[in-house]
Amino acid sequence: MTALSVPALPAEDARLRPVPWRRMAWVTWRQHRIALTGLVVFLGAVAVLIWTVGLRLRHSYAAAAACHPASSIACSHLISTFTVGGFLANGYNLQAVPAVIGAFAGAPVLARELETGTFRYAWTQGFGRWRWVLAKLVPLAVTVTAAAGAFSALLSWYYQPLFLARKPLTLFPIPSNSLAAGLFDLRGVAFAAWTLAAFAIGALAGMLIRRVVIAMAATLAAYAGLAFAAGLYLRLHYLPPALARNSFSFFVSDPSRPVVVVSQWWTKGGTTLSPSAMNQVINSTFQRMMPAAHSSQEGAVAALKQPTNLRVLHYLGQHGYTEWTRYQPAGRFWPLQWIEGGWLLALSVLLIGAVVWLVRRRAA
Amino acid sequence: MGIGKEVSAADGRGAVSGRGAAASPIEFRLDAGSGVPTYLQLVQQVEHAMRLGYLKPGDQLPKVRDVVAALAINPNTVLKAYRDLEIKGLAAGRPGQGTFVQATLSQVALPELTALRRSLSGWLTAADGAGLDEDGIVALFTSALRDFYERRSGSRARGGAASDGTEGVA
Amino acid sequence: MNVVETRGLGKRYRSTWALRECTLAIPAGRVAALVGPNGAGKTTLLNLAVGLAAPSEGEVTVLGGRPAGSPAALDGIAFVAQDTPMYKNLSAADMLHLTRNLNRRFDQHYAEARLADLGIPLKRKAGKLSGGQQAQLALTLALARHPRLLLLDEPVAMLDPIARHDFMATVLTAMADDGVSVLLSSHVLAELERVADYLIVLSRGRVQVAGEVDDLLASHRVLTGPAAEAATCAGRRAVHLRRGEVQAHLLVRSAADDPVPVGWEAHPVGLEELVLAYLREPGASEPRELAALRKAEPSEVTK
Repeated sequence: MTALSVPALPAEDARLRPVPWRRMAWVTWRQHRIALTGLVVFLGAVAVLIWTVGLRLRHSYAAAAACHPASSIACSHLISTFTVGGFLANGYNLQAVPAVIGAFAGAPVLARELETGTFRYAWTQGFGRWRWVLAKLVPLAVTVTAAAGAFSALLSWYYQPLFLARKPLTLFPIPSNSLAAGLFDLRGVAFAAWTLAAFAIGALAGMLIRRVVIAMAATLAAYAGLAFAAGLYLRLHYLPPALARNSFSFFVSDPSRPVVVVSQWWTKGGTTLSPSAMNQVINSTFQRMMPAAHSSQEGAVAALKQPTNLRVLHYLGQHGYTEWTRYQPAGRFWPLQWIEGGWLLALSVLLIGAVVWLVRRRAA
Repeated sequence: MGIGKEVSAADGRGAVSGRGAAASPIEFRLDAGSGVPTYLQLVQQVEHAMRLGYLKPGDQLPKVRDVVAALAINPNTVLKAYRDLEIKGLAAGRPGQGTFVQATLSQVALPELTALRRSLSGWLTAADGAGLDEDGIVALFTSALRDFYERRSGSRARGGAASDGTEGVA
Repeated sequence: MNVVETRGLGKRYRSTWALRECTLAIPAGRVAALVGPNGAGKTTLLNLAVGLAAPSEGEVTVLGGRPAGSPAALDGIAFVAQDTPMYKNLSAADMLHLTRNLNRRFDQHYAEARLADLGIPLKRKAGKLSGGQQAQLALTLALARHPRLLLLDEPVAMLDPIARHDFMATVLTAMADDGVSVLLSSHVLAELERVADYLIVLSRGRVQVAGEVDDLLASHRVLTGPAAEAATCAGRRAVHLRRGEVQAHLLVRSAADDPVPVGWEAHPVGLEELVLAYLREPGASEPRELAALRKAEPSEVTK
């Protein structure tokens, strides 16, 4: 007995058109505008810092480059100002930026909804659960990646003098290697790709852990692990390393041929020598040739970095020792960038897909 | 049913105030602890109001929506009460307008009242003679009264003849 | 049309079954009340109906056969969860805008008028509203979608009496205006009789009672009589026994015109008494029989 008349549902309900995607644009903006403006403010502040320091760096470089002769006292003073000015030459501080962005932009998206219970509102609206999460994650991911891309363009501008320094001034003892672990992922497409990956990791962590702060911490930890693995090992093997024989220049930082060394070993007469045995040979040869040099072990090894010790290595080469080096030349910068960007993009898509799948599955 | 577009004058806390000519003369109240079913309370209040003259034929009973908003009761309950009144012949619904009082409660004629009173006195004397005290008389009478009306409403629901609304003197 | 239909529905979390063998058919146009003690499975059932949880066994359909959680179901159902979750940093106006963007149907005019009636300022952040106001805001958002079915999970548990009254008045007025069906869970029995016309009693994850309130009240009564005869009096139709030394009250399933055993009195039973009796007898359920009468301590004689 139905007391009140209940209007019958129209037949077209069976073929309901979904609520348009664009409606979520306002929702995503309104709910995440603090995170997005925070991102812009954060990157903006760091960008201002980079800009001012970068200008100083350029002035310092110009002064040092214009100074003649290069070996005079005055000029070497300028050169040392340039090289030891603390200009983020290693790039390690900036490594934190993608991680921080990923943790703060990515983790709260789902973790906050699950922690506060608002998913019980959001996932029972007409828009639908999995479309909701996709319509949030994709625009945020794109925004975050674009901002990171713009920022990394600024970083490339910043590091120009440090890379240029290779060419004219051989007195620069430590030029920046564009393949170096701390610098490779600040430029090209890598920085944007790493930020995207951090965001995707954050989103998945938020979905699995369901607590904002813990998810953020987990994102930072996971990102750090991945970044270390990539920088210390994976990156060196994207392309098969080249093999060089008796390229003693690798023992000294030859400014004209920056490389990243993958592995290095010596052979004599076809058999590989252990590093400790080889060290002894080098040391004894060194002692014989330069009796006045340091006698301590670390002094000897450090002294190998001096250009004059090429004579020791040439001597060894003439006496049957062969040095083999696997390396990645700096000329491979862009192919390596694309490879790294590629697999990070694939990983991000996979992780975001996993989030959408989990959201769908939690209810169905 | 349409969507109630007019902004209700009630905030749900107090009585619904009238809105011009469509207002009902009476208000319902609910005694939640009395044990009497809600719909029955509404029916009784209408009959009581009719008896006392608050409601005359042609007056409108409160709109279902207003009763629900004021008392927070199920609209089906109000509809059930109004349907009960319709079955008793006391009210009639006009589609789109509401429910309106239709008849008056028949009064019992004076000679009949006097005769009933006399027979009641006789019964009381007999009960007192049997040893029932005042509470005992009240208990016995109340139980018999309830049984009578339960049986009566049961037979009515099974399609018995509609009564003329004759009520005993309470 | 049945607004909620379940067949053998069950839900398991790790190793415990929150709901088991639940078969229901709740008709439209009713206020259906879901009652039971804490942990009985009320929230689980509501979550299954709205698609927030997936069944471990059985199936649940809503609004005349639509799968729970499907786009058509989500479109026609509005859900207000326990503690009315709300985005604390968004203003009431933002919440309206949000809900409008997330749904196909949204009556902005109704929502704004309703909030104005209630005295809820549109610009205030939702987190700064009182408990009653938050509940009313959540309800307004739900009703402005003009759903066919409104699901409420213990909506008034945290509200003071006035806020409770206003909340239920809003729900029932919407039912009168719009024809929306309501399924609400509650463990406050006293107010049910006024509000509910369909009753589901859950206990330990199983359905004990399901039916129209009028039918249930008409098909049960309390027999009062000598305790010594209690065991044989109603036999298998007995639901619950309370006995003293000499007198006993027996809640039985019987029609109003069934003959009363000699020496016994019959009384009608109220909704609260009925529900409590079933909850005290977890083994009793309306379709199934009571296995044995429980011998209780001499208890206080009612009436």
